[in-house]
Amino acid sequence: MPDTAILEIRNATKRFGGVTALNGCSLSVAAGKISGLIGPNGSGKTTLFNCITGLERLHGGQILFKGRRIDGLKPHRIARRGISRTFQVTRVFPQLTAFENLLAVTGTAFDAAHERADELLAFVKLDRLRDEFAGNLSYGQQKLLEFIRVLMTDPELILLDEPAAGVNRTLLNELLDVLTRLRDQGKTILIVEHDMKVVMGLCETIFVLDYGEKIAEGPPSLIQGNERVIEAYFGR
Amino acid sequence: MVHITGTMVLQVVVSGLLVGGLYALVALGLSLVFGVMRVINIAHGTFLMLGAYVTYWLFALAGLNPFLSILISVPVLFVVGALIQRLFVFRVVNAPELSSLLLTFGISILLANLAMLAWTSDYRSVEFLTGSFIVKNIAISKPRSIAFALALAITAIAFLFLHRTKIGKAIRATSQNREVAEVCGINVRRIDLITFGLGAALAGAGGSLVSVMFAVYPEMGQVYVFKSFLVIVLGGAGNYPGAFFGGLLLGVIEGLSSLFLTAQLTEVVSYVLLVALLLLRPQGLLGGRT
Amino acid sequence: MPSLAKVVLPTGILMAALAVLPMFSSGYHVSFTIQVFMWIALAGSWNIISGLTGYVSFGHVAFFGVGAYTSALLITKAGWHWLPAGLAGCGPAALLALLIGYPCLRLKGPYFAIAMLGLNEVVRALVSYFEGLTGGGSGISLPPINATVPVYYAMGATALAVVVTTYLIINSRFGLRLISIREDEIAAETMGIDTARMKLYAFLISAAFPGIVGGFYAWYASHIEPMGVFPLITTITMIIMCLFGGAGTVLGPVIGATLLSIMQELVWARFLFVHQAIFGALIIGVVLLMPRGILGVARQYFRLPRTV
Repeated sequence: MPDTAILEIRNATKRFGGVTALNGCSLSVAAGKISGLIGPNGSGKTTLFNCITGLERLHGGQILFKGRRIDGLKPHRIARRGISRTFQVTRVFPQLTAFENLLAVTGTAFDAAHERADELLAFVKLDRLRDEFAGNLSYGQQKLLEFIRVLMTDPELILLDEPAAGVNRTLLNELLDVLTRLRDQGKTILIVEHDMKVVMGLCETIFVLDYGEKIAEGPPSLIQGNERVIEAYFGR
Repeated sequence: MVHITGTMVLQVVVSGLLVGGLYALVALGLSLVFGVMRVINIAHGTFLMLGAYVTYWLFALAGLNPFLSILISVPVLFVVGALIQRLFVFRVVNAPELSSLLLTFGISILLANLAMLAWTSDYRSVEFLTGSFIVKNIAISKPRSIAFALALAITAIAFLFLHRTKIGKAIRATSQNREVAEVCGINVRRIDLITFGLGAALAGAGGSLVSVMFAVYPEMGQVYVFKSFLVIVLGGAGNYPGAFFGGLLLGVIEGLSSLFLTAQLTEVVSYVLLVALLLLRPQGLLGGRT
Repeated sequence: MPSLAKVVLPTGILMAALAVLPMFSSGYHVSFTIQVFMWIALAGSWNIISGLTGYVSFGHVAFFGVGAYTSALLITKAGWHWLPAGLAGCGPAALLALLIGYPCLRLKGPYFAIAMLGLNEVVRALVSYFEGLTGGGSGISLPPINATVPVYYAMGATALAVVVTTYLIINSRFGLRLISIREDEIAAETMGIDTARMKLYAFLISAAFPGIVGGFYAWYASHIEPMGVFPLITTITMIIMCLFGGAGTVLGPVIGATLLSIMQELVWARFLFVHQAIFGALIIGVVLLMPRGILGVARQYFRLPRTV
């Protein structure tokens, strides 16, 4: 592969009881690009995210970030190496204000963090809700807040679990703009998304998972015509 | 220091195993409720105390055989448990852990103190059966062995119930995955009600059996939440058979520590054991799920 | 935001009034206020671990008892002055917290709560067992105190220290991180917060203060014994006072401790079991009906900053 891989999954295996969620899954995410991770429900996308971020432990295989193994590390250690994520169902801190949600997570100096937090709130136009409890925000607003909380930690690799779900069109377009700009700043982004328009329009590379295995990989144009992918989605 | 002989060791191991069967029974109730509702019921020991009082009063007032009174303490405690679930606990099933812990703590304090007001804090005993069988120099206490056999039988019945009946299967399904169970048409709130009642009933049965061995008083239940939890951690991996061996193991450990150290330090030993287990093998029963 | 004059002035007056109270009032009022100070400090300490992180400590009285024994031993065996001896109570209390907290706080779920549930009994058993040092069941007698006023100030300063510490924590990033653990520990952990370490720090602070309170209490009470300094009811009282006022806030434990101390004194002090049963019912009621406590109810009517 011509690009340098920032994240490499090697033969990842994860079982839940009798169910195999990841079955020797291998893929490598190119640095400085937006990649997509798609697949039918239950194909292991979120499990893979959980394994990358350390919430679940692999039963076999390795995960390397910038050439160093991160599987087996505690989630906060992985986060500090430069990986940050959002969740499929938003997980803000409801009884902290929007502003405090951002302050809580950062590793930089407290004063600098204040400025950065205000910048980011303005960036997604949440500045007027700065001192509102996060639990009182609308779902879309919580999603944005969770997203800028990711940026607060200044990660190199950003994992987004269904960023488009439940977000209205205008907001979505802005979000996609932001993602492209982040990519242009040199960030790597990996997205799990069901909205095919979003995935096809945004991602440079797409990985397709089925039954915990990677069944296809390539640019959107190739994935769209791939027979195995169509089979996985629509059955045979 | 008394010289400790092999017979003495064997003696405490046997007694420990007998008590351990009871621990397993009580722990099963706690872990059932936790499995299904993710609620650690701090009032579990209080239910045990109520079961013990049911047996005591039936024995003291009506002369009922304490072992037979299980047939009454089980349904009584089932109703008490279901009622408490219906009135209070169902409100905190999906709430943060803090709420359910504090709520059940409040319930345990309320019930224990109501028991003190009603029945005073006197120690009472059910002197029904005394004496021992002697097998090769080892005294096997009669009440303990009957209690052990009954604990075993009740545990077995509970297993059969969980594996063979429709409700039992629904309980296990809910405990494996609540959302999926709900999607599959299981009435999760009804399962909660039954499970909480069942948990209380198992504690109640345990209380009836405890009453023939140890003193009955309002605060007797306190230690059993901790013991049951330790049994579950010892058994590990969330499987109910594991908890059964955990119970036997705890009984033996307690027996040995009272022999080699002193009865006063039995609880200290179990406590150190729990903390050490958590330190060395943190993925006990409950750690597997996040 | 309330103006400076609105906050500082009444607080200043209250503090001044409390400072001069012993000069003008009877021994009864002084000793009652000592009780209130004690409960503010204890409820406030419980709040730091349980109110902020959501990890429930069911055995906080253990730290109080350990502090009491530490100071009693330092006074009687080592001849220390009561003030440094009382303050020294925080050392063993924090050490005990480290021993329990390190293994149990690394784990999510109910491990910590259960471990704390058993701690009190265990420490009491140990204290009774080491008779040579602790006097076993009969306890330790200290020299009778001739003046309660110094204890009044010491206890008052401790209560103030707890409140100020809580204020500083809640207004710091450390505090935000503790609350984020309570709100969503998994999210906090994934966002790079070392949750285990944060919880442990909070727990150490939370255990140190009851150690000091216990240390002063031993001197004040002149006699301590296992049943007296490790009662479950002390933990229950800390919890209900904190919840009643408003867990996770600065003033909640102060309000809860003050109100319930007064009610306790006026209404039900003489009936122990009724008293405990009422506390049990109160815990149930507060958890189900007003989980944010009095301050939470007040918040619905007045705009209060979170940092109160």
